[in-house]
Amino acid sequence: MSDARHDARAEGALPIGVVGGGAFGRGIAKAAARTGHDVYLWSRGARDLGDPRIRVTSRFADVAEAELIFLAVPSNAIATLGRELGGHLDGSHLLVHVSRGLVGPELTPISRLLRDSTPSRRVGALAGPLVAEALIEGTPSGVIVGTNFPEVGDAVREAIAGPQLRLYVTSDIVGVEVASAMVGLLALAAGHAQASGVGPAALATFLTRGIAEATRVAASLGAEADTFVGLAGVGDLLAVMAGDERPEERLGRALAEGATLERAVEIVGANIEGVSLARRVADFGARERIAVPICTAIADVIDGMPAQEALRALMTRGSG
Amino acid sequence: MRFRPLRALSERPLRLPRLRPYVPQPSDPPIFWFDSERKDIVREVVQRVTQRHTADRRRMELVLNETALAEIRRLESQRDAESRERLPHWRGLARRIARLSDVEKRDAVRDIVTRYAEDVAGNFDPRVYGFSKQAVPKLLAGVMAPSRLPEELIGETLIGELLRVEGDIEHLRRLQDRGTLVYVPTHSSNLDSVVIGRAFEQVGLSPVVYGAGKNLFTNPFLSFFMHNLGAYRVDRRVTASVYKEVLKTFSQVMIERGYHSLFFPGGTRSRSNLIESHLKLGLAGSAVSAFANNRVHGVDRNVYFVPATINYELVLEGETLVEDWLKEEGKARYIIEDDEFSKLDRWIAFFRKIVGLQAACIIRFGRPIDCFGNEVDDEGHSTTPSGRSIDPGTYVERRGKPVNDFARDAAYTRELADVIVDRYREETVLMATSLVAHVLFRRLVRETPGLDLFARLRVRGEIAMPREELIAEVGALRDRLVHLQTQRVVRVNDAIATLDPRVIVERALAVWNGYHTRVAAKELESTVTAEDPTLLLYYQNRLVPFATRVVTNAQDEAAAAEIAHIGGRR
Repeated sequence: MSDARHDARAEGALPIGVVGGGAFGRGIAKAAARTGHDVYLWSRGARDLGDPRIRVTSRFADVAEAELIFLAVPSNAIATLGRELGGHLDGSHLLVHVSRGLVGPELTPISRLLRDSTPSRRVGALAGPLVAEALIEGTPSGVIVGTNFPEVGDAVREAIAGPQLRLYVTSDIVGVEVASAMVGLLALAAGHAQASGVGPAALATFLTRGIAEATRVAASLGAEADTFVGLAGVGDLLAVMAGDERPEERLGRALAEGATLERAVEIVGANIEGVSLARRVADFGARERIAVPICTAIADVIDGMPAQEALRALMTRGSG
Repeated sequence: MRFRPLRALSERPLRLPRLRPYVPQPSDPPIFWFDSERKDIVREVVQRVTQRHTADRRRMELVLNETALAEIRRLESQRDAESRERLPHWRGLARRIARLSDVEKRDAVRDIVTRYAEDVAGNFDPRVYGFSKQAVPKLLAGVMAPSRLPEELIGETLIGELLRVEGDIEHLRRLQDRGTLVYVPTHSSNLDSVVIGRAFEQVGLSPVVYGAGKNLFTNPFLSFFMHNLGAYRVDRRVTASVYKEVLKTFSQVMIERGYHSLFFPGGTRSRSNLIESHLKLGLAGSAVSAFANNRVHGVDRNVYFVPATINYELVLEGETLVEDWLKEEGKARYIIEDDEFSKLDRWIAFFRKIVGLQAACIIRFGRPIDCFGNEVDDEGHSTTPSGRSIDPGTYVERRGKPVNDFARDAAYTRELADVIVDRYREETVLMATSLVAHVLFRRLVRETPGLDLFARLRVRGEIAMPREELIAEVGALRDRLVHLQTQRVVRVNDAIATLDPRVIVERALAVWNGYHTRVAAKELESTVTAEDPTLLLYYQNRLVPFATRVVTNAQDEAAAAEIAHIGGRR
């Protein structure tokens, strides 16, 4: 650690690192700047945000000057990025990701990937009914940090929480990660269902059972069921249904309106984790003997099955 | 034959008289310093634990009430000499707590902690160590093969043949001079502590300090050595939380002072013989805190965890353990006092059975890791996934300074458990009995579709395999495992890696039959029958995590998938 960083940390003037120049990365950088922190924002296409506290950089070494680093990049980029960034980190860094993804056929949580690809162990996941726009604008919202390390929760609170952003902490990091990913998947399905004319009662049944299904998947990965009734699960899904214009929901809608997958992704203009996740969850369920009919139906619809047919299959299956 | 009549005697520490204190030599392992530091260590433990519990009146009352209640409960159910001696004390204290002044409360807490610390702390006598080094292998050899005793008195050939020690021993030898080693082996048998102690000696590693269940002290032969070889006593019957804190603090202070240590993170012997996947790292957590506390005080002494597996061809207490697992009484019968370990005739039968086998027990030391799961290079430096050296001290820093943080250390310990579990699988050495049991059990599952595990265990002696088919499948399984070994997934006993599968089957059947009271598999003309599914299940459980990866026959795939779910998802 450089002496300058040591002194800065000791005096309490902690810079914050943010990796990812997308909407979420910029939102976190803005939120941290608002609470009085200097921010290093790493972005491949570096451009100035017009905030004197936010220094945009393309060097990981700059970001590593911070103790707390947020990662706002898609899950499929985490492994590579982890290795590159990891070359500049040591055990003192606290990493917090905001990804809604689970990786590979085993649905590996991002936190696990970070532990495997970087020297950092003190990691956390930020989730909840939080959208990038709210962070950028500073409109009231709530978030939850999943971490095994209470000090990570404290550091995130100090970095971005305030009167406009209420923050909760749980030790069930895997629960937060799985809930966040599965809500992304359900948001996609909800957008599709609404645009396909599915009524409120059917939608409510579908989503409620979807949460139950997500809880089963999460439990098999070692998460706690209670996490799903918190901000990362039900709270996040309520925000979707309240109309927070979530990209996942917009993608679902575009698919229902007849767009191809490629076109729908283009319309939304964001990486949607749920697209590849649905089939992997369906396969995981089949392998691990976990009933995941809703994820399977979502995967089938993404692969081109008419929504009505998928819904009919769901409605007529045997129920317990 | 049991040792019970001698139990009362064995619970009292037997020590050899000494006229002059032993003065350790610079070349001696750290544990040789223990007796000269023992008083200091106990004092340090008492001071730390007492300080934590006497910060305010509420806390003192809480700890006194909780401890008195827990001890009264324990002693009332124990109904032994200790109960008669100590119950009046605890009942009296419970009545008096409310009337005690703050000073008296503090004294009472200190008395409790001191008593516990004295009970926990062991002794180390270099003379007993020297004797045991020479005598134990010969004694064991004498039991196993009396006819070979004369040659054993000259050399140690028999033990050397039976017990194989694997892993990068040279690396460990270097690290033990650079930091504190904390061995964390799997736990299958009460013999584990004896054989691993012997393994240290066999390959020239320093002896270690370890916590041994008080039940081990009931065997007078072992008790004498336990009392004098640095083992500290863990009484699992004592449930008071302050006692657990004394244990952890004792362990922490020992590691801080550089005593190489050993814990069985599984907590208790694996009842199922499944490779342990749920670890209790309470004591191992003390190693992380020891490292942090040293850094806070400017002491730069690294702690290295060494995952290890202890693999037996035949498990001394296998029959009792698996029954215990199946009855789901694991918790209720946490301390099994009437298993094969306490019966001398079972010991003799066990050793006679394994004599003559090459590598009947394999201890495999895995690659060492630091407290944070990082690999450690030859010089003892922690390395990142990309191979860069980093300072492990950074893991205990906040704002650039090392700090103590109990919650953080507990979280590191949980994460370390994941790494250790992965290492257990990689370093497990599969023996002939596991291979043969797996093939027979898989066939049983295949032939009994739709039955649950317990229903299958009642299918005794009904499923048979043609002998030649069994041999062919064992051969295919072995070859598959040898292939997985090249990918560092699991290992297979070298002694059977190139052996004719026919001999592997013969070896397994010969080892089982005649030792266990029940017959695991019976050979009749040209078939082999799955005679006791419970024993087969026990021995094949070692293979559960790899079940779906070792299938070579499409007809066995469904059965392998079912077997992979035994014990739940890992």
